Order: sequence, then C-alpha cells, then structure tokens
Amino acid sequence: MAILEAQGVTKRFGGLAAVSGVSFNLGDGEILGLIGPNGSGKTTLVNVITGALSSSDGDVRFRGDSIRGLASHEIGRLGVGRTFQIVKPFRNLTVLENVMVGALFGARGGARALSEARRQAERVLEFVALAHLADASADGLNVPERKRMELARALAMRPTVLFLDEVMAGLNPAEIDAAVVLIKQIRDRGITLVVIEHVMKAIRDLSDRIMVLYHGEKLTEGLPHQVLNDPDVVAAYLGRRFAEQSHA
Amino acid sequence: MAGDRIPIALGAAALLILVATPGLLSPFLVQFLINLFMLAALAESWNIIGGFTGYASFGNVAFFGVGAYATGVLLTTAELPFALALAAGGIAAAVFAALVGMPILRLKGHYFAIATLGVAETTREIVYNLRITGGGTGLTMPISRSPLPFYYLMLSILLATTLVNWWLSSSRFGYGLIAIREDEDAAAAMGINTPLYKTIAFSVSGGLAGLVGGVFAYWITFIDPEGVFKVSTTIQMIIMAVFGGAGTVAGPLLGALVLSSVSEFLSTQLVSLAELVNGLIVILVVLFMPRGLAEMIRKRQFSLRDFARNFREYRV
Repeated sequence: MAILEAQGVTKRFGGLAAVSGVSFNLGDGEILGLIGPNGSGKTTLVNVITGALSSSDGDVRFRGDSIRGLASHEIGRLGVGRTFQIVKPFRNLTVLENVMVGALFGARGGARALSEARRQAERVLEFVALAHLADASADGLNVPERKRMELARALAMRPTVLFLDEVMAGLNPAEIDAAVVLIKQIRDRGITLVVIEHVMKAIRDLSDRIMVLYHGEKLTEGLPHQVLNDPDVVAAYLGRRFAEQSHA
Repeated sequence: MAGDRIPIALGAAALLILVATPGLLSPFLVQFLINLFMLAALAESWNIIGGFTGYASFGNVAFFGVGAYATGVLLTTAELPFALALAAGGIAAAVFAALVGMPILRLKGHYFAIATLGVAETTREIVYNLRITGGGTGLTMPISRSPLPFYYLMLSILLATTLVNWWLSSSRFGYGLIAIREDEDAAAAMGINTPLYKTIAFSVSGGLAGLVGGVFAYWITFIDPEGVFKVSTTIQMIIMAVFGGAGTVAGPLLGALVLSSVSEFLSTQLVSLAELVNGLIVILVVLFMPRGLAEMIRKRQFSLRDFARNFREYRV
C-alpha cells in the first residue's frame, strides 16, 4: 500500500518550472532512490512535499490524506522527516542537545520531558555510532559527523517517512559503505525512505526502486538495474554524445 | 545538573541579603538598587526574545512604555488600585507585543531589528497625540511616601523574569526557542510551530517589560513620551544582556550589575566619561568574549583564539 502519493506536483518560480507534474507512489517500507543531474529539481521536490515550499499545483497524500498547504512543522508532526542537503546543525548546542530537539518535537509532538528526550537521543546516537561525541559542540564536527548528526536528529523525530537529501556527499568510499549499511538498518526499523544521492553505487545497492528527475520532470522510474542502464538516463547525466560512446 | 548549584546558591544568598537589608541602606543606595533591578529585569526580559529566540528586537522599550502608560492611565484617570493597574499594564504590553509580533516576526535579522525600532518610534508618536495619555505634557502619578514598596516590587519582577529565563533554559519550550535561534528552517522541519513559539516569546518578553514599566511609572511619579520611549533604554537592555551573555540565565543579571555599577561610579566623576567607558567596554566584549561574561566565568578562560577569530570576522 502506498504511504505517500504525489500527484502532478509542480513548483514554479516565476516563469521557471523547477518541478513540473511529478507523480509517484511510495510503498510502505521501501527505499526509493531519487536521482537526476544537478538542478533537476530533486531538492525542490523534497521542499514542496515537506512543506518548506508551497506547491504551485498538484497534490501530496500521506496515509491517504492530503498534506498540501500544511506548514513544515505540521508535516513534521505527521511523521514526515527530512535532512538538509546543506546541513543545518544547531551550532551552539552539543550533539546530544541537537538530537534532543528531534526527540522533544518530531512526530506526534514528541517527548514532553527533557529526561525522556535525553534517553531517546542517547539511544539514537548509539545507533548512528556518534555516542562518543554526544557532549561535543556541533560546531566542531567534521562533514561526515555532521551528516550523521543530522540523520540522528531526523531519526529522533520517530518519522514514518524520511527524506535523506545527499547524506553521502563528501564522504569517502569507506564512509559511504558504512552509510549504506546504516540506511538499510533504518529501513529495517520500519521507516520508509527516499534517498537523494549522486553516488550511483550506493543508490544501486540501496534502492528498491529508482526515480529519475530531469529538468524538473520525471524521466523514468523502475528497478535499479533497468533505470541505471537506460540510455536516456545515461544521456541525461553525461549528454547524448558521451552516452552513445559509452554504448558503442 | 551539578554545575548549576554554585550560581543558584549565590543567587539565593544575594536574594536573601537584598530582601533583608533595604531598611539599613542609604536612600541613595536604595534608589541605585531599584534602578539596577529595573535594568536587570529589562535585560532579562529582552533576553527571552533576543537571547533565546535570536530575534534582536530594537524596540522593546515600546512594551515598557505601553506598560508604564497603561498602568499610569488606570491609576490616575480610572483611579484603580495600583495592583490592578499594574497587572493590566503587564497584560496590555503582552497583548500589544503579540499583535505587533504576528506580522513582524516574519522578518529576520536587520529587517526585524528595523521594524521593531519603527514600532517603538510609532508607539511614542501615538502616545504623544492621544488625549487620554496627557499627550506631550505627560501624566503625574499620586506621590508615594516610601521607596521601599518599589524596591520590593522591582526585585520581585526581576526574580520572576529571571525564573522565566531559568525555566526556558531547561524546558521543552525553551529548546524550541533555541532551535529557532540556531536554524529556523531546521526547527520547523523538526515539528516546531515556529510562528507560535516566536509570538509567545515576544509576548512574554513584552509583558514582563510592561510590568517593569508600570512600576517605573509609579516610582518616578511623572511620565511623558520623551522620557518613557527612549531608544537608549532598548540599547541598554541589549548591551547588558549581550555583555553578560545573551541566551544565558545569569548573563543579563551580571551585565546589568557590572555596567550600571561602572557607569554609576564614573558618572559621579564625569558623565561623558561614563558613556565613553561604556562604549569601550562594549567593543572589548564583542572582541574578546562574544558569548559574554557569564560564559567566560563558566569556562574560567580568556580565549585568545576567540579574539583572533573576531578580529578577522569584524576586520577591525
């Protein structure tokens, strides 16, 4: 059963349609890979679905109910979480405090007491292997650690659906492998995931299905090996000429 | 939190001494302390919106003024008892802050600062032109005999404001405000109702400033728009909070204590010297301890690295 349905989602900035008529279904418990060249509208699509941007047209349904026009915090409380491509740590807080905010708010309003939020945050930090940095200042973390903290913060919200916007950008190959394992573990906890990524190996290993955006429109959707070998998809990434060479 | 015990013990001891001793102090010192409580309470009230929520309001004197005038009008024209007039003054300021806050809290950074400055200036002009407020001639309160009631009232409001700040530092609501300060988009994505939280913070900040204004009006016995709606009063709140440590509980208290003592001492020598030194202190604070006095005392270190970083950032 689809937990999230997007129908003809469109976002126009003046005359530019950053996202144009995108429809897709998200099955309960699946991992959907969302790929496309830079500027193809992936982050805009996430911003529209999670309420950070208002949509120009189309509808989004979560568990059957329309969430179009809801504010960002209302969608967060329903259980739709996200990370940000450009990470947004709460710099003057510790790592633990950052994650506590997720536990205090998040889905269904979160924990009421700080002590309960602290316990939940500690468990999440344990899970993403950041427990040793719990009391470190968020400002002092390196890129992979920041990405992990952002992931922990989103997980502490106890989301049903989680959008991961390039959580692997800037990671080295070993860190990417670790991230793939972690994301699979997140899915095993019953969380439905949409993973935006440029690291094709990771996307192939992770995704149950892949959807490709190109110039704001859905180019194709399907099983990983089909989509990644699709000449149109290769052309979208490399340009027509290189795509023909790669098939020659 | 074991690290909190020493400041709490110090605060409680100071409070006991302050409650027990005003009868023994010279009239000059009592007046100085009432003024100190007032500035500290204003700095703590500003801290709620400016320090915790990160919205640098340059117009909080408007709420101080609305509280002063609402209390004054009810006390004189309506002849209400002072307690009722004061409560109404605080409520009027809180409601005013909420109504003004709903539109302008959509602005950020400099735009918000300028909008709040505009609110304060506009409020002064309106008060100037109303008949009920006495316009430019001002309002004269009934004269009260002893300064001690004002001493205890200001001290109570300061205590209440400090307790609100303390609660913010250790509550879910306070975490929400801090998250908004740190990154509003991330805060909203995590399920924090940012417009509501900001408006409540602004309203509570304004309501407490309004209570201070109400006590001020009765204490000073005469209010007029020029004297009540001074931009410099807002600036004092900000400087004291930032000097002591914005977003901390003890910071605004420390800031008010140090800065008003220094300026009181220096202005007995030479008024312009006091202002000069105040200005120098602010510059040094921004350069050497951007997180304020409270943070420096807590860490027990004077960071040269912070200094170097600020030197670069501000391109001194």
